[in-house]
Amino acid sequence: MHDKQFMKETLQDSAKAYQEGRLDRRTFLALCGASGIALTAVMAGDAEAAADHVVMWNWGGQSEECHSSAIGDAFTANTGKGLKFDTSGPLEGKIKEMVDSGNVTADVADGDLFNAVSLGPTGHLEPIDYSVVSRDKTLPGYALEFGVSIILYGYAFVYDTKAYGDNPPQNWADFFDTAKFPGMRSLYKWANGSLEAALMADGVAGDALYPLDMDRALTKIQSIKEDSLYWGSGSEAHSMVVNGEVSMGMIWQNRGRNIENDTDGRYKLVNNQAMAMPGAYIVPKGNPAGSSVMQFIATAQEVPAQLALLDCLGMTPSNPEAFGQIPEDQQDYAITSAKNIDKIVYNDPEWWGKNGGDAVNAFLDAIS
Amino acid sequence: MQTFNRSIHPGWLIIAPLLVLVVTLYLGPIMNILWLSFTDPEPGLGNYAKLGESDALLRIVWTTVRICIVTTLFSVGLGYSIAYAMVHCDQRQKNYMLTLLLVSFWISILVRTFSWLMLLGRKGLVNGTLENIGLIAEPIAFMRNELGVLIGMIHYMIPYAVLPLLVSMQSIDTRIMDASRNLGASGSQSFLRIYLPLTLPGLVASTLLVFILSLGFYVTPAVLGGGKVLMVAEYISVQLLVTLKWGTAAMLAALMLFGVLAMLWLMSKFMKLSTVFGGTTR
Amino acid sequence: MAEPLEIGSLQIRNVSKIFGTFKAVSDVSLNVQKGEFLTLLGPSGSGKTTLLMMLAGFLDVSEGDIALDGASIAGVPAEKRNFGMVFQGYALFPHMNVRDNIGYALSVRNRAVAEIEACVDEMLDLVQLQQFADRKPGQLSGGQQQRVALARALCFAPPVLLLDEPLGALDKKLRVEVQEQLKVIHRRIGTTFIYVTHDQEEALSMSDRIVIMRDGAIEQVGTPKELYERPKNKFTASFLGKSNFIHHNDKVYALRPEKIDLIVGVDHQDARMNGTVSSITYFGSMQRVIVDTKEGQKIEIDIDVWRNANEVKLGDAVDLLWADEAAVELQMG
Repeated sequence: MHDKQFMKETLQDSAKAYQEGRLDRRTFLALCGASGIALTAVMAGDAEAAADHVVMWNWGGQSEECHSSAIGDAFTANTGKGLKFDTSGPLEGKIKEMVDSGNVTADVADGDLFNAVSLGPTGHLEPIDYSVVSRDKTLPGYALEFGVSIILYGYAFVYDTKAYGDNPPQNWADFFDTAKFPGMRSLYKWANGSLEAALMADGVAGDALYPLDMDRALTKIQSIKEDSLYWGSGSEAHSMVVNGEVSMGMIWQNRGRNIENDTDGRYKLVNNQAMAMPGAYIVPKGNPAGSSVMQFIATAQEVPAQLALLDCLGMTPSNPEAFGQIPEDQQDYAITSAKNIDKIVYNDPEWWGKNGGDAVNAFLDAIS
Repeated sequence: MQTFNRSIHPGWLIIAPLLVLVVTLYLGPIMNILWLSFTDPEPGLGNYAKLGESDALLRIVWTTVRICIVTTLFSVGLGYSIAYAMVHCDQRQKNYMLTLLLVSFWISILVRTFSWLMLLGRKGLVNGTLENIGLIAEPIAFMRNELGVLIGMIHYMIPYAVLPLLVSMQSIDTRIMDASRNLGASGSQSFLRIYLPLTLPGLVASTLLVFILSLGFYVTPAVLGGGKVLMVAEYISVQLLVTLKWGTAAMLAALMLFGVLAMLWLMSKFMKLSTVFGGTTR
Repeated sequence: MAEPLEIGSLQIRNVSKIFGTFKAVSDVSLNVQKGEFLTLLGPSGSGKTTLLMMLAGFLDVSEGDIALDGASIAGVPAEKRNFGMVFQGYALFPHMNVRDNIGYALSVRNRAVAEIEACVDEMLDLVQLQQFADRKPGQLSGGQQQRVALARALCFAPPVLLLDEPLGALDKKLRVEVQEQLKVIHRRIGTTFIYVTHDQEEALSMSDRIVIMRDGAIEQVGTPKELYERPKNKFTASFLGKSNFIHHNDKVYALRPEKIDLIVGVDHQDARMNGTVSSITYFGSMQRVIVDTKEGQKIEIDIDVWRNANEVKLGDAVDLLWADEAAVELQMG
């Protein structure tokens, strides 16, 4: 017990030394490895201590590095404050649990804009301070009381050029047409995007989707039930396609490039009728760093940060100022690029925030 | 004080603080779940009434029970043969088999699940081979359906089924089986009248273990079911994390808990549970 | 049950059992009479249990043949052989009560319930366990379990009963009691008993004939008296009872301790040997005296306590006397 405590203190000391530049990264990581304590655990344990940094709650993996370089560095330069991570994934239930338990350890969660609608009114989120954060540096309607969209991701689909090479599918109607395009499909398991795709396939216009006609959408979904699989994570969506389990697969659009590469171009991305999903930064109620987190959010809205996130994570800018600066090689994979922006439809966080829970359950019932 | 000392052994006083702690730590969360199931989102029996109102919930519960029963039948059935083979082969083969069995314990469920996809998936090794030698024109749908879930779960559960059976079979004196033969019993008579009854406690332990563990399966159905096989554990997780219907989640958790308890109670009507959990028959 | 059986003689002809390169039983031939109480006696590893297992059908014979009343049974599987067997440790069915244990053999033969009940009652009577009929084996004492095992093995009226160290787990006093009961039962039912033991006293007191085995082969066969009085060699002489070995004129003689007389002090004219008393051990019914002879040999002598109690003391010089016929000449080896 004593040993562990000692080890943790050593690590916290060295974590501080590392932050102050007295210890190089490699030595610090070696120290962490030697004691068997994960970097994030030390960071998180330390996180509550002082407000000389903000803690970002994200999904880990690449996003840790990307959020550091794209936002964290500029934030530190501007404010002198650091950036730390909790990589356990800020699902709605976890945010609610954290706030309800009174032990809030994260300052900003990399969530969805509809989280702001469902968790804000119940008192689980801090309101966004629009004297610091800009309403204009995101798309209209995506700056809400309890959250602001920083990036966009999207639902698009890929198809097998070998199966449909001569007459490729063009839109969601084709995606749902198993007579004209036989083969397995994959869709997102938690309803989001899948419902909109079904409605568009059934002839609903992209700007007239909301409120979603659930019955109509589910009937359409069930019409291809025998020919469909459902994925719960990006990697699963990816593997269903590259392992040849499906001939057409709904994917998160930023994965399109990887899939095209991994299959040597056999699978091709279709951006027509892609759905833009507002990813948002939301602040758990009673966050430890207090109002300084608003500066962090504002930093993330700036054009350099927006373009860096695109470059690093493939997340599309939501700040219209950045749209024109999307580089050539990202045009196909960025949902708001000049190439795509006229073909896309926009998700309504209000509807999802209010109806999401029931929609997910109804969807699960329909596909199972 | 006098009467207190007489009726309660003073030893209890020493362990009392620990006992209170353990009871609190065990019962606290369970009470919390029960409480939630009656209070969230509003006080009353609303969550339980959903069972009667919603076909969806009943279907999920039924799917779960059905899959668990089939998994248990096959795991315990195959486990019985494996345990029998292990007990009756020579020591070297037995060690070899035990090692293989234990190694499979150490392989993460995620790795196993994806291995099944590589082996039996649409473009997997088996389908690929069968297609190449011309036995089938279309791939056989082993995976991403209920069959896939069953294959994955049974495979995962077999070691759990084997171990209690192995212990039970090893404790049988081989001379008892010789005695049965000597008294004129045929192989099947010896098995049905002697071996099976003597391994019954192990069989029950194995069945309970596998069934209860199966109820909690999450990853395997989610991946191998292709999203179309929804079991209670995954549904509870969705209600907790995504849809924030904690009352529904708590109700389902309570339902599973009481389902298992009811099962144990029913079994205790037919046999001494202590024999199943390692006690003696005497 | 009580009427004498028509069958039950066994012919064992040149039987061997080979495990790999090890010959556990080698070239054993033996005729067992109908109704005989025959004991296979030998130290562990002598092949007696292996031979019994071949008789029971649990082991195949590697060479030779076994016949029941002249008809070969070497190829008959254990469950068809109809031999009763009492196992070492009893091997009772722990999940069945005494009644079901005893009735098992008839029950697996699909006999009528009434017939089974009648047989079980008769057996319970035979082994005097009527009041324990509904108990499970775990609720019985060792001696009671032993009797259940016997009753179970006899319930289908087998022509031959094989007993594999059936009293090994009992304490000494109980063992003597059960030996008596076994003898009584044997006399009553007239079944051929083949009894394996390593306990020479048990063999002597119970058997019609004893087969002494060593290293897989038969050393000597005979009635207890024959074997005791006229052992063929050193092995038999020392395994069955105690013996002094006297070397004289390049011959070896076995001399039982109780057949030697001991006279203190005087140089008796008939004295065969003399020496000094080095040890006296009191056993109640007799005492064992060890005399170190001038030739450097230790001779054991058993003497009646009530007759000679206080006459012998440690360190006494003594003469040893015996009759000519007391010393039995042994084969060498």
